[in-house]
Amino acid sequence: MTRVETLPALPALGGLYARGLASSGRIAVRRTVSSGAGDLVLPDVTYRVAGVDTSVPDVAAHLERYRRVVGEPAGGTTSAGNPAGVPAGFLHVLAFPLATAVMVRGDFPLPLLGLVHVENSAAVLRPVRLGDQLEVRAHATNLRPHRRGAQVDLVTEVTVPGEGLAYRGVSTYLAKGVDLPDTSSAPGTEPDARGEWVPPLPTARWSLPAGTGRAYAAVSGDRNPIHTSALGAKAFGFPRTIAHGMYTAARALAEVGTGRGETYDWTVSFAKPVLLPSTVDVAIRPSGPGGGFTYQAWSGRSGTLHLTGAVTPRS
Amino acid sequence: MATNKPSPGRSTSTTPGTDAVIIGGNRIPFARAGGKYATASNQDMFTAALEGLVARYGLQGERLGEVVGGAVLKHSRDFNLVRESVLGSSLSPQTPAYDLQQACATGLEAVVTVSNKIRLGQIESGVAGGSDTVSDAPIAVGEGLRRALLAASHAKSLGGRLKAFASIRPGDLAPLTPRTDEPRTGLSMGEHQAITTATWGISREAQDEIALASHHHLAAAWAGGFFDDLVTPFRGLTQDQNMRADSSAEKLATLPPVFGKRLAASAGGAEPTMTAGNSTPLTDGASVVLLGSRAWAEAKDLPVLARVVDAETAAVDYVHGHEGLLMAPAHAVPRLLARQGLELGDFDFYEIHEAFASTVLTTLAAWEDDEYCRTELGLDGALGAIDRSRLNVNGSSLAAGHPFAATGGRIVATAAKLVAQRAAETGRPARALVSVCAAGGLGVAAVIESA
Repeated sequence: MTRVETLPALPALGGLYARGLASSGRIAVRRTVSSGAGDLVLPDVTYRVAGVDTSVPDVAAHLERYRRVVGEPAGGTTSAGNPAGVPAGFLHVLAFPLATAVMVRGDFPLPLLGLVHVENSAAVLRPVRLGDQLEVRAHATNLRPHRRGAQVDLVTEVTVPGEGLAYRGVSTYLAKGVDLPDTSSAPGTEPDARGEWVPPLPTARWSLPAGTGRAYAAVSGDRNPIHTSALGAKAFGFPRTIAHGMYTAARALAEVGTGRGETYDWTVSFAKPVLLPSTVDVAIRPSGPGGGFTYQAWSGRSGTLHLTGAVTPRS
Repeated sequence: MATNKPSPGRSTSTTPGTDAVIIGGNRIPFARAGGKYATASNQDMFTAALEGLVARYGLQGERLGEVVGGAVLKHSRDFNLVRESVLGSSLSPQTPAYDLQQACATGLEAVVTVSNKIRLGQIESGVAGGSDTVSDAPIAVGEGLRRALLAASHAKSLGGRLKAFASIRPGDLAPLTPRTDEPRTGLSMGEHQAITTATWGISREAQDEIALASHHHLAAAWAGGFFDDLVTPFRGLTQDQNMRADSSAEKLATLPPVFGKRLAASAGGAEPTMTAGNSTPLTDGASVVLLGSRAWAEAKDLPVLARVVDAETAAVDYVHGHEGLLMAPAHAVPRLLARQGLELGDFDFYEIHEAFASTVLTTLAAWEDDEYCRTELGLDGALGAIDRSRLNVNGSSLAAGHPFAATGGRIVATAAKLVAQRAAETGRPARALVSVCAAGGLGVAAVIESA
């Protein structure tokens, strides 16, 4: 039975990163010492914060800054006459510190630094409106081998008490070079950027300035240096800063527009990172008569795939 | 239907209310960006075109019903661009005016709206037009600086103002110049059209042919004196600066592609075909058209060239690639024809705005495509083909240039004079179809008939 640990409030990311750095070092040491890694186990704990108040002006201002960065239209009233729900990407941002808190625990077996976000899937099951009191939960699950290391899912859930589960996000991270048993047969889940992928005709083009990483870091709290500083990016082997994958996915979600409806599924698979500054060609097209959209984004210059995903209305 | 005279569609029988007639037009020659009009403002140019019209038709001191026009690239201080131009003209200062803007369709939409007021009896006379300059374009401060300046002006204390200024970053100081990118897609109009061109498989040769015809037709019209009573010289320019009377297929064939260069690698893409020669250059200029009721024209002893029969505006869903950005006229025209009981072949002249040579060709290809006309336009089958010898017979935007809001007035004045001349020659009514595509997936079509 998973233990539920209730925290008084959503933690601040700054302090978590300091702990993440420390625990990453600890894990590195541990792995050097033990080297056999078959004993990696996820902490059997769910973090919970109740009474997250979205009626305070800070949250409204935060949402406004988020909207401006990712291009979400100002939330007015839906065609059904209800106040618009906040975008799924904002709920991801809201819950991100709690997921990070799980990942910086001393007993979390993978190093926070160097984790690569490879996939994300989110479901908005009912609209979350500014002003709702929310309960947010996060836990890690499904640690599994991958041909390049190990993958883990960080699950975040947002509940509107009295109404039920409103949002469920699953962020899949890859820890490169971490060995789990039977990695030989492990599948690779990321789309193959070097294979036969041929870009479709674009429907849009994003001109992403050098400051894109810093701009999204400011609204998401994800200040990983690979996104915010050229030196930091170089330290991790990137020639320049890279865009947050979730920024690109959130922008695609925004550009689907009202066709996504009030409740929807939103998925993304990340391939090659977007080096900044960059011009990214994008195709966002209806996926079929059943409704919904698929999207791809790639480098207009080289044709390298950056991400693919889908936005599917639930009703 | 392949007759020279218009079929007796509903348009020629009865039209409710008063006719809106086209008396004449005036424009200044169109200049290439950074050329002769580099320091002229939209207001300078609109006033020059308007004043030329006033002089030609003796309208000094006249109180017209309304002057309507606009500019696409407009500075915020020009909120009353047209009214200010009226005040700077010899028209009565009691002539009201308002600004209107519908991207490249601004000028044609202004003609439609003025003629509608005339037909309703709300006004007896009016001027419609537009002006655009890319040389004297407004430059805005970057978004970061703009927000900081606004925050500073909203701040109630010195500390608040300093805090706002402190938020300014060096990168915020870069100015923003107007772009022709679609705000919703980030693709330039040329890139959008390159996708449409690839989708329809339009060849480079066919596009160059359209461009060449445009230059030759425009040059012949200038040489034949067609524009003598449609243009007033401005700032030393007496003819359209972009026109190349000596252009040749060989010269056009040497130009490198400028749009769609990345599409060759795409599924469904094609080698790039759109060049600076078969795409409209950025230009500066202004144009106006004088409209009135038949009674007003008679009372003022003014000539009547044509009447505005009807118009239709369409918009297409281009954001997620369902339709090409500039394909709205393909939708507007069949709706307009159906309302008027006309067929595509029932015209003596087709004035299809040459945003790009391929815009004309994809529009014509769409009308000839059975499947497209059924599924996208809701027709029983292909709308049909046009007689190409009736297309843009005195040249169009590829040769003349395309100062966005000024194009509608140029085309309407040209079409009105063409149908008037044809009717005078043949003794039978003549009819022109006008279509203009615009940013935002917009398009306007109009029927103009000799009066």
